[in-house]
Amino acid sequence: MTQYIYLTVLLPLFGFLFNGIVGGRIKNEKIIGWIGSGTIGLSFLVAVSSFFQTLGLPAGDRKTIVTLFNWLHAGGLNINVSYQVDQLSLVMALIVTGVGFIIHVYSIGYMHGDKGFWRFFAYMNLFIFAMMNLVLGDNFVLLFLGWEGVGLCSYLLIGFWYDKKFEKGTTGDAAKKAFIVNRIGDFGFLLGMFLIYSTFGSLNFTEVFSRVDAYNVPASIFNFIALFLFVGAIGKSAQIPLFVWLPDAMAGPTPVSALIHAATMVTAGVYMVARCSIIFASAPAILTVIAIIGAFTAIFAASIGLVQNDIKKVLAYSTVSQLGYMFLAMGVGAFTSGIFHVMTHAFFKALLFLGAGSVIHSMHEEQDIQNYGGLKKYMPQTYFTFLIAALAISGIPPLSGFFSKDDILWNTFANGHIILWIIGAGTALLTAFYMFRLYFLIFEGKERFNLNKHPHESPKLMTIPLMVLAVLSAVGGFIGIPALFAGENGNLFESWLAPVFQKANTRLMVYGAHSGMEEITLMSITVIGAACAIYFARYVYLKNPQFALDTSRKFKGIYYLLLNKYFVDEIYDAAIVNPVKRGSERLLWKFTDVKIIDGAVNGTASLINYLSGKIRKIQTGVTQLYAMVMMIGLVIALFWIIMSL
Amino acid sequence: MNVDYLVNSLYLIKPELAIASALVLLVLIDLIMGNNKKFLPYVAIAGLIAAAYFIIGQFGMNSLAFVSKSNKGMIIADPFGAFFKGIVVFASLFVVYFSIKSDEIKASFERHGEYYTLIFGMILGMFFMISASDLILIYISLELVSFSSYVLAGFTKTALRNSEAALKYVIYGGVSSGIMLFGISILYGITGSTNLYEINSLIQSSSIPNLTFILSGILIFVGIGYKISAAPFHFWTPDVYEGAPITITAFLSVASKAAGFALLIRFIKITFIKSVDSAGYWQLVDLIDWKTFFIFLSIITMTLGNFAALWQDNLKRMLAYSSIAHAGYLLLGMAVLSNQGMIAIIIYFAVYAITNLGAFFVVMLIANKIGSENIDDYKGLGYSQPFLGVSLAIFLISLTGLPPTAGFIGKLYLFIALVDAKMITLAVIALLNSVVALYYYIRVLKNLFLSRPANGTFEFKVSFSNGLVLVLLAAPIIILGIYFTPLVDLAKNSMQILGF
Repeated sequence: MTQYIYLTVLLPLFGFLFNGIVGGRIKNEKIIGWIGSGTIGLSFLVAVSSFFQTLGLPAGDRKTIVTLFNWLHAGGLNINVSYQVDQLSLVMALIVTGVGFIIHVYSIGYMHGDKGFWRFFAYMNLFIFAMMNLVLGDNFVLLFLGWEGVGLCSYLLIGFWYDKKFEKGTTGDAAKKAFIVNRIGDFGFLLGMFLIYSTFGSLNFTEVFSRVDAYNVPASIFNFIALFLFVGAIGKSAQIPLFVWLPDAMAGPTPVSALIHAATMVTAGVYMVARCSIIFASAPAILTVIAIIGAFTAIFAASIGLVQNDIKKVLAYSTVSQLGYMFLAMGVGAFTSGIFHVMTHAFFKALLFLGAGSVIHSMHEEQDIQNYGGLKKYMPQTYFTFLIAALAISGIPPLSGFFSKDDILWNTFANGHIILWIIGAGTALLTAFYMFRLYFLIFEGKERFNLNKHPHESPKLMTIPLMVLAVLSAVGGFIGIPALFAGENGNLFESWLAPVFQKANTRLMVYGAHSGMEEITLMSITVIGAACAIYFARYVYLKNPQFALDTSRKFKGIYYLLLNKYFVDEIYDAAIVNPVKRGSERLLWKFTDVKIIDGAVNGTASLINYLSGKIRKIQTGVTQLYAMVMMIGLVIALFWIIMSL
Repeated sequence: MNVDYLVNSLYLIKPELAIASALVLLVLIDLIMGNNKKFLPYVAIAGLIAAAYFIIGQFGMNSLAFVSKSNKGMIIADPFGAFFKGIVVFASLFVVYFSIKSDEIKASFERHGEYYTLIFGMILGMFFMISASDLILIYISLELVSFSSYVLAGFTKTALRNSEAALKYVIYGGVSSGIMLFGISILYGITGSTNLYEINSLIQSSSIPNLTFILSGILIFVGIGYKISAAPFHFWTPDVYEGAPITITAFLSVASKAAGFALLIRFIKITFIKSVDSAGYWQLVDLIDWKTFFIFLSIITMTLGNFAALWQDNLKRMLAYSSIAHAGYLLLGMAVLSNQGMIAIIIYFAVYAITNLGAFFVVMLIANKIGSENIDDYKGLGYSQPFLGVSLAIFLISLTGLPPTAGFIGKLYLFIALVDAKMITLAVIALLNSVVALYYYIRVLKNLFLSRPANGTFEFKVSFSNGLVLVLLAAPIIILGIYFTPLVDLAKNSMQILGF
């Protein structure tokens, strides 16, 4: 099936076109929903069969390029619409279509009765289409097409309920914020692309990456390319300082949050860094920057997550924090671990969001966790699956999160970044604490809401996806059991991806000596720490609620700082947004635009208007005159040509 | 002259023969069937499809038909001609379909035989214009096209503006063809030949009187310039385009212009060429400075067309001016005098043909229902007729040359050719002209989508077949705008002119 891999891209496109063009007319949720989900499901099947076909090949030949057509050809620039099937893109394609399919099915239930049902599925399919171009494209231009495509779709989906109130404005404002912040990152990515083209004379992955060794490129150029590309990744994957859009992205319908946070979009940056691993490996300084930014984002976002009261907001900051882990992995050269965490995170974060959606659904759009409590008995399936996800993200063995997180932390330590390891381990404790704060406040304890609300379990269309994801979150980690336990080559995931990162890893040569004893010790520290954090959360929020109140009163300053998310939005408003707004209003709009540009444009327009009024009069309708003008023109032409001899 | 000679030549003019036979057949059927004229368009379509079939065969040919003793032929069969004949047939097929649906044409039902016969006369003339390599044949074919189109422009007779348009067309056409004939006679006087290839070798080898030669070249150009409506030979265009039935306007603006440009390119390239250098630039004999001539002509033509279009309220008349402006853009491709410029012209023309046919089709469908071509009567049409509105928007955006439509690709390749030839100033002028053009195209869209309907809504349905034809015209514009490699490949294949 590998040669038909383009179907995984075209099927979602078909779904988008179908739902976008006729969806509004047929008004049948069954048809729209199943076409929307079915196309993704079929894509997933194609990806799965391509995976098994590729698995059957020897490790060295697992890269296939399927060319659809030649897209742009101008001068030395030659861009094909062709898709690259290799170990990395297959992992991403499986995550995107697999988790995407589950989210689509869930959405049929979740979006039931919405007046924009068809629009929702059209956008979602377009989203998957863009994402598939991003992960499968064999050149930077196609990747960029997908990159911009997911940006557009996130705008459309975050602002899906465009007239709904959200925080200080409407969801439309949240959508705008996401789009603009993303654009800043995109600009960096574009610069990186330009620099790559001018350095290597190509934008094709295979060509560029082979020229990294072949061409003698100075280190500073590599630093710039890597830095620009990383700026793009910061925007798309919500790292410090461009993470502000992601928490607001929860303004859209909950399945959208699941799609953006778990399976698609935010993983794009991680994927891009992994794809260009050889370029980043040639710029070790930038790698260190990436590791530091990743680690700080992780702990920073986790600390904000400690005190938030909106169920989706907690999850949103947890996403930012987990993405920090992924970049930490990239930064310390553990590319495989990063992608491994992308995968396990896709499982448990999608599950958390969909579970949250299920809770919100049954609580009639109530999102404040202070108004939940005791939901365990009302929605047993949601409760159980949510618990699994919470355990997985907290890194409790043997759930999937344990393996991927431990992999990252161990690699950080083994590659000599002790301080970053401490930050990472600290984040793990915080993660376990805030996740179980969330869990206890939602499902355990007494009901803190009006019992007339009658919470109820969600329909099967929503709970079955939850269960599937719960199974994946539970067992998904077993393909990446550390070599310590599974023996040499026992880590299936690592040996699968190894050829992709081989060149980068050789270049970095990072792996220092380490002993199994060290690894087990570190592992125990984080696991025991996480377990303690969970127990502590139980003590604080279930047994002794007064304790939480007292603490927040005692450390009022810190509490407010965290509750208001370090005032980052306010700082940005004061330092960047408002000056830009005011400057653009006074200088750019009222002066430059109105006076200079409009003046020039209007002046030109009225001049042209005047001239065209004159020119029009030449056409009098009198034929004799026409003939005369023609003769005059002829004479002038002749005269002029003869004179110029 | 023997039979072999005739057979070999006839083999090369199969498309022309198909059209000629269809013409005769149309006359006969009209005579025999009497009042039953329903079959005429289908006969016409069958004839066109046969011609199209033969044209496809010509893409692989490179030969001369009716070769004289001195080894110079009258008619050329080559990929270049095949491409332009293809455009003519493509346009004719759509125009025949438009004619079936047009209320204007339906009104003069009893003269349908005449109508299709004349159209086929025009097609035949265009085919010869495209493939002729002899001045006499060029002149005759030009006149064949002109005479048929004079009658067709005034075909409906009932409308006053029809007859006025036809009369103006005759007068103007008469003057320019007279001038052209004068030029041809001078050229014959100097060189003693009417064959383009022969003239080419003559002016390269022997000395030619400069002044008279220039005079003849420019005079001949008048005839061609009038066909492609280049300023200042364009005056007939707005009046005739507005006055003629829409089907004929569409036909004139696409097919007639295609034939005119094919003739112009062939005339310049065969007659004046010395050599083509490795980068594809044409070295012409330096008797006439065609490059500067075309530069000025294109600037005047597109500026005049665009500026005059700004004020037009009648959509047909606006499209007439816009077609003058497009002739100006196409002349830019001529001014480069290179193979790249020619590829650009071919791409541009292919796109222009589809887009213009589509635009006129929408205008016709709307005029059929609301009886007006005035832009102000289109207010709010986009709301009650989203399908027509969006299609028209696609066509107009493509005419402006914005992505993601094929119009953008046409302009892109034109500008690339200009920039590669270091004619940056000209490219900038052309770009600024596009900005002016944007205004009047968008004005229509503004009326369609941003204004509320003045009185009532437009309550009519677009029939399935019309919708399908509209999609057939609109879809390629979007598809070619994104995936344009086949278009470029076609253009590269079609620039093969016999002898070079």
